[in-house]
Amino acid sequence: MTEIKVLGPGCPKCKTTYSNVLEALKKSGIEANVEKVEDIEEMMKYNVLTTPVLMIDEQIKIKGRVAQVSEIVELLKR
Amino acid sequence: MENQTLVKEICPTTTQQWVKNGALLVDVREKAAVEQLAYDVPNIINIPLSEFEERFHEIPKDKKVVMVCKGGSSSLRAAGFLVNHGYSNVVNMQHGLDRWVQKGFPTKGDITLVSGEGSCCSSSGCC
Repeated sequence: MTEIKVLGPGCPKCKTTYSNVLEALKKSGIEANVEKVEDIEEMMKYNVLTTPVLMIDEQIKIKGRVAQVSEIVELLKR
Repeated sequence: MENQTLVKEICPTTTQQWVKNGALLVDVREKAAVEQLAYDVPNIINIPLSEFEERFHEIPKDKKVVMVCKGGSSSLRAAGFLVNHGYSNVVNMQHGLDRWVQKGFPTKGDITLVSGEGSCCSSSGCC
């Protein structure tokens, strides 16, 4: 199953990204495990500098900004 | 502060001692913020977080380096990035410019831009 992670310290942009992920999954009908990563040590493992970060299957797809629902859907279809 | 073990963290008072001993400060705030209010220390460079991946090579590996920002979180991520790229002399300054100003340490610019929040332990003599 697809693994999605939203990395960020819990800022409003991170929360928006997380809810956009849930919305994208609902719209696309794709099933995925979604995890919110707020632990700084975990974030540093991925060399995250700017947040939020959207990861799909351990690959950084979008960083430093809110991922929009439509682009998450597109990323999930690839 | 952040609960992590990857990066050593020091407080602003200890940072002052490091500065006196020749450490380099790396400020990861964006340029506009630095223009408004900056750390006033002899050895400092500004590499904004948005340019960090392209420019981190400018930071010498053979010098003691203290990463700084406004509140201590962004610079911690940058410090972690450096540690993951083989830097061993890097520490993060906890609480950032906000605490630096509260402690009355030297700055250039408008200190009214710094919030007074988070001063819970400013009387502790250290952080």
